[in-house]
Amino acid sequence: MVKISRNIVTTQLQLFFLVAFLLFIFKIFFGSSDYVYLRILLDLLISASIFFLLLALVRFENSRTTAPLSLIMNVGILSAIMFFIITFSDYLMPGIFDNINLKLKNPGLVYDIVSVFYVLVFIGFVSYFLLTLRHFFFLNQGRNVRIYFNTMMIFFILASLSGNFFQAENVSFLSSTFLIVSVLLMVFNSIRISWIAFLSKKEKIYLLLLSFVITTLFIVNISNSSGDNIHSQMINAFSPSLKQFNVIVMVYGSIYFLILFFTTLFHLPTAEAYDRKAQEVTSLQYFSKLITEVLDFNDLAETVTDIAQKLSGSKATWIIWKNGAKQNSLAAKNIGFVESDKVTKQILERISFENLTSTRTFNIKEKISENPASNSLAVVSVSPIKTRGDTQGILVAAKGSGQIFTQDDLNAMETFSDYASVAIENSRLLEESIEKERLEKELDVAREIQRKILPLQVPVYPNLQVASVFIPAFEVGGDYYDFFKITETKLGFVIADVSGKGISAAFIMAEVKGIFESLSKTIERPKEILIKANEILKEALDSKTFVSAAYGYFDLAEKKLVFSRAGHCPLFLLRGGDSKQIRPSGLGLGLSDTDYFEKTLEEYSIDLNENDTIVLYTDGVTEAKNELLEDFGDKLFLQALQSNINLTAEELSNTIIKEITVFSSGHEQYDDITLVIFKWQQ
Amino acid sequence: MAEFSTSVRENGDISIINLKGFLDAHTAPTLESNFTQLINDSKFKIVVNFENLAYISSAGLGVFMAYIESIRDNKGDIKLTNMSDKVFNIFDLLGFPLLYEIYKNEEEAIKKFSGS
Repeated sequence: MVKISRNIVTTQLQLFFLVAFLLFIFKIFFGSSDYVYLRILLDLLISASIFFLLLALVRFENSRTTAPLSLIMNVGILSAIMFFIITFSDYLMPGIFDNINLKLKNPGLVYDIVSVFYVLVFIGFVSYFLLTLRHFFFLNQGRNVRIYFNTMMIFFILASLSGNFFQAENVSFLSSTFLIVSVLLMVFNSIRISWIAFLSKKEKIYLLLLSFVITTLFIVNISNSSGDNIHSQMINAFSPSLKQFNVIVMVYGSIYFLILFFTTLFHLPTAEAYDRKAQEVTSLQYFSKLITEVLDFNDLAETVTDIAQKLSGSKATWIIWKNGAKQNSLAAKNIGFVESDKVTKQILERISFENLTSTRTFNIKEKISENPASNSLAVVSVSPIKTRGDTQGILVAAKGSGQIFTQDDLNAMETFSDYASVAIENSRLLEESIEKERLEKELDVAREIQRKILPLQVPVYPNLQVASVFIPAFEVGGDYYDFFKITETKLGFVIADVSGKGISAAFIMAEVKGIFESLSKTIERPKEILIKANEILKEALDSKTFVSAAYGYFDLAEKKLVFSRAGHCPLFLLRGGDSKQIRPSGLGLGLSDTDYFEKTLEEYSIDLNENDTIVLYTDGVTEAKNELLEDFGDKLFLQALQSNINLTAEELSNTIIKEITVFSSGHEQYDDITLVIFKWQQ
Repeated sequence: MAEFSTSVRENGDISIINLKGFLDAHTAPTLESNFTQLINDSKFKIVVNFENLAYISSAGLGVFMAYIESIRDNKGDIKLTNMSDKVFNIFDLLGFPLLYEIYKNEEEAIKKFSGS
């Protein structure tokens, strides 16, 4: 875009230079002819040159955004330069022309070059002034503004030309009429100066000075241009219309800047109040934007105190934040933490978090510092910052002696602390939901791992029913069970529970599965498998993680069950009407070194009878809780098993799970539930 | 989940940690920081009183395993007292009585420290 607009500017400039060249040619051939058509042609050329230069400047202006004040500064500099040129032309030009006449053979040509160049410079000045005035005019975005300005421009041109062409007695009133209308339009178009209202007090003072200087310069330049000096003569000799146009634009400028000067002068007394209001509006706008953007709590606190300081015009601001039983000073602005803590103490002696529901003020009584700079604080306003309906923080703004908090200040702080509360609440909620989402994602992964680790189906044998039920907890509990077909007549099984929860437990489960899968292929005796597993896991796990496990196998040919227990829940044997908890000695895996583990580990063997039911489970079963936080427990578990003992293994496991579900319906399932049931039927 | 808190008392050169509430994966860090603090202060004779402990999970048991080695290396010990049957059963299942000295009350544990 920049490139394109630059190209356009170049084209306009080329046209301007072309016209300028034509002007030069014209001067060489015709000089200052009195022939009317030639004068019209000359004025057309001049108009064309001003027109193209204006177009080029407009494009150039539009390609960048300029503050009104810097544009005014430019006008000031240019009018000063103009002043110097006009003043010095009286002294320098005669000398130059004398030199030309003396030294050169063809002084007319050089004279023409110099005068065309001189005129072009003034065309440049006038174009820039006009452009800047046009820019200010369009700062007022009223309706029909374009028409007002264009009408004025037409009258400018008419007034300029008429002076030149209607000099006869009977038509000279036309020229005066056009001039009067032009001046009226200038005044009318200059009174729309609302843009200065948006300037700060400092900028208004600056503008006042500038507009005064510029008005003076313009008036001086007008009187210089209309007088009988070299400058005036040169321009007049070139084209009387141009001279007239030049004066008209300068008059417009002086009227505009004069009105600007007075308007600014009358705006000055209210400038400070306006500044404050504007500051409040921008701060609140900024803050409402902030609510949706800033996520980090500490960043937010910094911004809150920063804005509060500007908003209330305070010396220092900070936040008192309740952190459990303690209070912290946060994001202190323009005050040390030692001093702010002292003031905080004084505030909290007089009001508690709970009692502070709206903004109020306190005088600071005690000296807070030996340092006179920070000791000058005399009054504070305190506003509550509420989250979840409770006052969680206090926004403190402190002013020095001699300053007061006006009702406006307090209203602003009240509104602002409400905004701050919303923003802080938002950031807290967001943080929570991000954390929750992260945790849920992690648990999804953990559950997926667990789902893939556990067997898809139970092995099927003619004389051994096998059933298993697994119900994962929301936070993966680390339960694992598996079956291994060792030979055609030997079925290995393992049930284990990793300490801890979540993704780390899931990874350990995967490791445990690998260990048992490979060991079961090479070692037969449960005790030896567990010793080996303990040896591996003692190395692999950190000291606070361990695995409870029971490993065993059914020998279908020998009608025997052999198993060992490493810290896991006992095995239930239901035979006839009896039930038996079998709990051979054994430490959890990963708790102790091999020697001690081996020494304390027992192996247990059962000769199977018809209808023997063997139940393995994890503590999720017996520790399932009801709404009174009572455990399902061994007793209820055994009762449930015994009263349904005639069901198949499959039916029995489903029935037990149903009973557990009913029992714990009032309480969230906290741990994985695993239940494996074998039933021997020949 | 449920609440958990600890308090630490001194009895001569023996430190006594009282547990209260539910000790699980979420509340374990509280107890961990107690042990870390005691080890930093070179207090290696520790008695843990379970009287007010309602529940302990496997992650809770893990806390004791995490520190026992360095404490015993420094000629100290963690002795456990006043367990309810339910809590004892959880320790017992995993074989913890083979790894830790468990006493009926604090006095016995303290006496054991003084005796050895």
